[in-house]
Amino acid sequence: MRRTFAQSLALYATVIFTLVMILFPVYWLIVTALSTTNELYRLPPTFWPTEPQWDIFARVWAAKPILMWLWNSMLAAVGSVALSMLVSVSAGYALSRYSMRGGATMGLFVLTAKMLPATLLVIPLFSIFSSFGLIGSLWTLVLAHSTMIIPFATWMLKGYFDTIPKELEQAAMVDGCSPLGAMVRVVLPIATPGLAATALYAFVLSWADYAYARTFLVNSPDNWTANLGITTMQGEYVTYWNDISAASVFVALPIIAIYLFLERYLVGGLTAGAEK
Amino acid sequence: MTDTVQAGRRKFFDLARPSRQHLLGYILIAPAVLMVAAIIVWPLILAIDLSFQQVKIPRLGGASRPFSLSNYTWLFSSQEFWLACWVTLKLVVVVTAGSVAVGLSTALLVNNRFKGRTAARLGMALPWAVPEIIAVVIFAWMFDTSFGLFGWLAIQLGFADQMIPWVSSSTAAFWAVAITMVWKGFPFVSIMCLAGLQSIPSDYYAAAKVDGASVFQRFRWITMPLLMPVLGVTLVLTLLWVFRDFSIIKVLTGGGPLRSTQTLSIMTYDQAFQYHNFGRAAAVGVLTLVICIIASLLMLGRRSKSIY
Repeated sequence: MRRTFAQSLALYATVIFTLVMILFPVYWLIVTALSTTNELYRLPPTFWPTEPQWDIFARVWAAKPILMWLWNSMLAAVGSVALSMLVSVSAGYALSRYSMRGGATMGLFVLTAKMLPATLLVIPLFSIFSSFGLIGSLWTLVLAHSTMIIPFATWMLKGYFDTIPKELEQAAMVDGCSPLGAMVRVVLPIATPGLAATALYAFVLSWADYAYARTFLVNSPDNWTANLGITTMQGEYVTYWNDISAASVFVALPIIAIYLFLERYLVGGLTAGAEK
Repeated sequence: MTDTVQAGRRKFFDLARPSRQHLLGYILIAPAVLMVAAIIVWPLILAIDLSFQQVKIPRLGGASRPFSLSNYTWLFSSQEFWLACWVTLKLVVVVTAGSVAVGLSTALLVNNRFKGRTAARLGMALPWAVPEIIAVVIFAWMFDTSFGLFGWLAIQLGFADQMIPWVSSSTAAFWAVAITMVWKGFPFVSIMCLAGLQSIPSDYYAAAKVDGASVFQRFRWITMPLLMPVLGVTLVLTLLWVFRDFSIIKVLTGGGPLRSTQTLSIMTYDQAFQYHNFGRAAAVGVLTLVICIIASLLMLGRRSKSIY
């Protein structure tokens, strides 16, 4: 398909215009962080600060326990992803390889679990966690995030295992490998990209959570996650928009970096469910 | 004699034996089933049970209150519940329509061949990677009542003659939430549509061109029908996301002003953790789940399997 010059020009113009519109809020976050307070509280707005305040990042980093918030988010995400992957990998493998009674029910269950509102589940979880004395601990997040991750991860991994031919394991078993050995030594290494995609997507899910963190951890500032910490910087009367913007950059950066460098895996995870 | 018994026993635990294969399947799936039972099914049963009790703050192991329908009768007779249903419906329709419109058009745009389209694709879907809370921080500032960019822009473009009170006006607050959600929600539609578009064989378009089909005809008779399955699933997933979303609304408007942005999700949460009516909250939550299930079954019908 050859395009005329005018058509090419129109295409590029549309692409650039759309990109500018879509990415403008991200640009605005950075501009807000770099502006002085005077520049922020003025109309017309400043589209690029006369003297960008680059030291805002160091100042906010020192003033707020951002590293601790990020670390807590990291702990919750790694914990819930590890726990969920542990049970989901074997369950996904079993669903893919063995015809079991209730396999179809499992599918229906995944469907329902996807519709389960976090705001509903958080109610019984709150009573359960408080009777076990867990409120305020990061373990609440590890368990609560697993409720989001296990159903989708199991189903996604089943899809990946379905694409790996059964003959590989059969060959391994003929050579004397046990069924479990065939799974661990033959199938899992081949499925590594699928495992990585699932784990990565699960990590992003956990990092994005706010509802559970707010409910279980609000009274233990030492365990605040990044998202929860950011919202506490929003004052009831006055919000220092340059401070909160600079802190937001720190919180958004890990996920944006994952997205920019590992987009292929993430998108694989997103679309895996829908194309079947 | 003992030898044969031992041999028999060893064989009994031999998981490689075809008749024992199922056993291994059940062993492998058991941890997941137990986990799910403990952290999803049991809490869900507790929640349903809770919704039938008149209870303020429940204690596990405490004596359960007598069965009562009072939470549900309160709900159906309260204006707040019906208002929340209306707000949810409005938001679901506006945000889903907006996300599909923007998502589908950006997908069609970057599906063209041009230099730098890999970068363009990454950029178009970047909002997907911005955590919801951060998106709210950005938009809360852009929707600031005194110095927000959007208010200023509305004046410059002639839509308003003074700054718009995004926080205190019901209509403005609703649109602030909707716009934020579309910005956060359309990249998912875009990513899914792009994947769908790329799975359409280019031969179809070539054949249609030979037959003299116009650009519009090719879109109407090739792209749309073949994209429909993906688009349908994406639509339902987006709808479910709006239905259940908590963080964007909670942090941006808190459900206000005057409950004009209070969806069923926000109502569930506030009934439990602000007014400490856990029984009522559970009832709202259970109804939300039921509505979600009915809506997606109706929309997907027999194709509901594809949502897995």
